[in-house]
Amino acid sequence: MNTRRSDRALLRFMQYVVIALALDVCSPRLRATVDDALSFAYEAALPYYKQGFSIRKDAWGGDLGVKEKKAVSSQLFKGNDYWFLMATDVKGASLSVHIYDDKGNLVDAESWQKGRFAGVRVSPKATGTFFAIVQILKSPEDRTPWALVYGYK
Amino acid sequence: MLHCEPPLGEGIFPRFPMKPIFCLTAAASLLCWGLLPSLRADNPPQKIALTDFPAAAVDEVVVPVPSEIFAVLDKLGNPNWKGQLRDGKVRTPEDRARTALLLGNVIAQGFVAVEAEDDERVKELGRQVLTLAEAINVRKSVIARSKSITDKADQRDWKGVRAEFDGALQDVRGAMQELNDQDLSQLVSLGGWLRGTEVLTSIVQGGFAKDGTELLHQPELVSYFDRCIGSMGKRLRKNPLIVSVREVLRKIEPIVNESGDKITPAQVRAIHDLTHGVNQQIVEGSNGN
Repeated sequence: MNTRRSDRALLRFMQYVVIALALDVCSPRLRATVDDALSFAYEAALPYYKQGFSIRKDAWGGDLGVKEKKAVSSQLFKGNDYWFLMATDVKGASLSVHIYDDKGNLVDAESWQKGRFAGVRVSPKATGTFFAIVQILKSPEDRTPWALVYGYK
Repeated sequence: MLHCEPPLGEGIFPRFPMKPIFCLTAAASLLCWGLLPSLRADNPPQKIALTDFPAAAVDEVVVPVPSEIFAVLDKLGNPNWKGQLRDGKVRTPEDRARTALLLGNVIAQGFVAVEAEDDERVKELGRQVLTLAEAINVRKSVIARSKSITDKADQRDWKGVRAEFDGALQDVRGAMQELNDQDLSQLVSLGGWLRGTEVLTSIVQGGFAKDGTELLHQPELVSYFDRCIGSMGKRLRKNPLIVSVREVLRKIEPIVNESGDKITPAQVRAIHDLTHGVNQQIVEGSNGN
């Protein structure tokens, strides 16, 4: 009797382990965190760091649904060059970031997009408040963690 | 606007040395085959209505670090930075709010000392950062920075020292946020901004008017600091020094709401006098703190 009970307990435990493992494998979202997205964003910033851009340690992040947008406001100064780098750790996701001035005009000097990474450069023609509009274009997940960093020189 | 690939380099972006004609042919082929979905998928509108983004959809402002402003000032010319250095050591206040503001103030002063290439002053300010950080329980976060400031000042590695002061500011704020001391963390930023603005307006008055005034157009930032104080605990909000700081912000806000070319010399002087006055209170505790 005791043996049967312990077998059942062992079986139940194994079921939990299998379910936990299956969830872990099948749902990358569980593992995907903003911190991971941030690591990718810093990775995207590396080439610019090597070009002399100072990369800010402060960063923005969160999670968004597909086609959902968020505005991130930032004080930028005329005379500096800025690169904004956005990333997610979700495989198969793609995202975008573009910069608008306080009147809603697109001010990207150049931008690129490569799967889970996106970048945009801006050289403000005037000092003031700018908005980085971040968006998840597609993703296998309902909510996709993202992070945005910027550098200046 | 030009959409392009990220710059070639190490890391995630491999280097593909290709001749221009081959590049064009390859790009055209890829487009025809639909192998560049990312470029096609992202065609940003030239204009958007910012009102479409409710407050909840706009993240809070990230306060610029002092070196962002100093990077611009570097390009403007060579102001008399030594003239901007404040004399004397600061004493550690008992009031934590004042200590946080003073810490930000001292870090901003570090940037001025770097611009003045005054290695002794830089080292002294590095030590002051450590002392003030200790008073608000975040000493551990800046020990290494303080040492690096001294080492790099000895080597006259000014770019390195500047990076360390930036790092110290961010590390202190990070440590405070870990301690759930968001309010003090914001006060450190605010203290740095107040001293930076005092110096900036002094330089603008000293003959760097046109491009320097441009840097004062910081409407969202000033309003953000005001909102931060508004959301602080009652005790902090009623602190006489914080009340003074908020009054100064509210006087400055309508001026910096103007675009740079509309800010008059008299307004620059007004901002300077306001920030100078409140910075004196922060340093000397003249409001009784």
